[in-house]
Amino acid sequence: MPLDFSQPQRQSAAGILISGAYTVQRFARAMFIPLAIFLIKSNKTALLYTILGLVGVLIISLIYGYFYYRKFTFYLDTLKQEFVIDKGVFGRKQLSIPIEKIQQVNINQGFLQKLIGVYSLQIDTAGSDSKEVNISAISRDIAYALKEHLLNDDKNEISSIADADLNIQPFSQYDTSFIKISPATLLKIGLTSNYGQSIVLLLGFGYAVFHNIKEVLKAFDNDNGQVEQFFKSGVTIISISVLLVTIIFVLLVTNVIRTFVKYFDFQISKHHHSLLISSGLLAKKNTLLHPDKVQITEYSQNYFQKKIGLFNMALKQANSGQQQSEKEVRANNMEVPGCSPSEKDEVLRMILSKLPQDGTSYKPNFRFMNLPIVFSIILPLAGYLVFYQFIAEVRAFYPLAIFYVLVASLMIYISFTKHRITVSEDFIIKQRGIWDISKEIIEPHKIQSISTSQFPWHRALDIGHVTLHTAAGDISFSYGNFREIKNLVNWLLYQVEISEKDWM
Amino acid sequence: MQHFTNETIDIQQLPKYEETLLAKPDRKYWNIILINLVIFLAFIGIGLALVLILNKEAQTNWMIWTGLYFAFAAFLFLLYRASFKRRGFALREKDVLYKSGIIAETTTIVPLNRIQHVALNEGFLSRMFQLGTLQIYTAGGSSGEIRIAGVPIEQAKAIKEALVQRLVINAKPETV
Repeated sequence: MPLDFSQPQRQSAAGILISGAYTVQRFARAMFIPLAIFLIKSNKTALLYTILGLVGVLIISLIYGYFYYRKFTFYLDTLKQEFVIDKGVFGRKQLSIPIEKIQQVNINQGFLQKLIGVYSLQIDTAGSDSKEVNISAISRDIAYALKEHLLNDDKNEISSIADADLNIQPFSQYDTSFIKISPATLLKIGLTSNYGQSIVLLLGFGYAVFHNIKEVLKAFDNDNGQVEQFFKSGVTIISISVLLVTIIFVLLVTNVIRTFVKYFDFQISKHHHSLLISSGLLAKKNTLLHPDKVQITEYSQNYFQKKIGLFNMALKQANSGQQQSEKEVRANNMEVPGCSPSEKDEVLRMILSKLPQDGTSYKPNFRFMNLPIVFSIILPLAGYLVFYQFIAEVRAFYPLAIFYVLVASLMIYISFTKHRITVSEDFIIKQRGIWDISKEIIEPHKIQSISTSQFPWHRALDIGHVTLHTAAGDISFSYGNFREIKNLVNWLLYQVEISEKDWM
Repeated sequence: MQHFTNETIDIQQLPKYEETLLAKPDRKYWNIILINLVIFLAFIGIGLALVLILNKEAQTNWMIWTGLYFAFAAFLFLLYRASFKRRGFALREKDVLYKSGIIAETTTIVPLNRIQHVALNEGFLSRMFQLGTLQIYTAGGSSGEIRIAGVPIEQAKAIKEALVQRLVINAKPETV
């Protein structure tokens, strides 16, 4: 099927439904609780009006969706090498994206889109807000053909594609995927990693449930603090341990489910010069990225994962420089949830074109531990001792305090022994961590600028810090020998300044 | 085949950034810092005076409060003086250096081929003293950027021009 993108074209007509549905969804999310309470409390006539109102909202959304669809066009400007989107019902907006600035292309299929059988296509560049460049409904063929054009960075190739669409198509078969994560591996990953995110998720969920139950009770005018009462009455030693076990169980189950939903059928395959990464259980997510545009390659492993031989990887790309929400940062980071040592090496080879070799390692001075000890051990302990003097109730908790001091000291000591930077001819590797030990790898030509700093009282000791700023974040090494650091900085500057390589 | 060499590089022979001679900010910039400091202290002083007038309890200890105030003022003065003396910048053949810091001494180096754009700011006070602030942006986010304050405006314009020229030269091979 010859697909010509040089003429402006619309998305698929199903886009009306999709954008209508988005409007309804946004409205419903904002109004859910007030509406629910209103529905419970109101009488029949009011109910009728509300329903009429809702139908009205739905119709208006669809009409808006129709106009949005009419006014939304996109095309590929082969002359200027730009992808152009025209959109906007009331205010018109034209977005042009230079093709060589595109970092990755996401092709997603949400639940609603799956029902209708369309895909959405998102384009990430270093500078833009990712939501800006989003085509919400196109057919599979168009999505993949478009993605092909957008990620072919080779300038000669693009012009030839424009002439000879048909000839290129047969070659665009994907190479066989070189990483495929099986459900068994996913289970292992779910049991061993990313507890932090699941804890945050559960806390958020728990708070929302607590808050909403109170809202509903308030609506019925009989909130007499039952919820708080329930929690208070439940606190005994036995119930705490039962609760603890339940929480750990729920945490692990959530973690496994989350991992499955997000990473089910995870695959990476090579294609021309780019990597295609796809995953997802309910909503399929396809991402194409260009290895040269990855700024920081990170892999990490914790104690359990070491035992079963799994690595987590993250490929970090340039972000827009403004403050970003955590979600956006994560969208910029392509995560590979679990891979074996050989698969990890394969990905590294793909992105860095060779495996990092050993180099000179720099270790921090023991004064690295001073500040953490003051802030996480001495100050809290002093606080506890003050309470110990004046409040009798807290005295019984002294074993807990001792336990805390021991664990915190151990953690600080581990973080000290793991903090290290290794520099070789072509790579800089920063290692850090306490539980998850991660290694971040950058190539010298990805460095944007370098800062060194030193406290006046460290001058005689010759201790200092260095930070390498890259487009995907900073890499810093603290409390090192300052003379060595200065030599290192001179060497890195030399490499950056003679390098002809582009950082993206 | 192009002419190709691949000699071993003696790291000790590389140019040393830490030995670069740095240009100090203009003396007049100290006046700007002082004016800002005085304005800041005046606000706090007014606040303190109001508290002393209105609060009977504080009046009994007015000696302590005013003492603390002047100690704070002297401390700030010394801190800013030290930080002013520490500041310095240099434009090397292939990068820009800037040293600053109130307590810790930080040196930031931006290679010319990584500069995204350059801005020249003139504030109200700076204009009175004919100074400007050069801001050099990179793709590395705000922490890796350089902001050189207190450069005589003519010099600042010249530096900006030089950097922009370099940018154009650097950008050329890409656009071809």
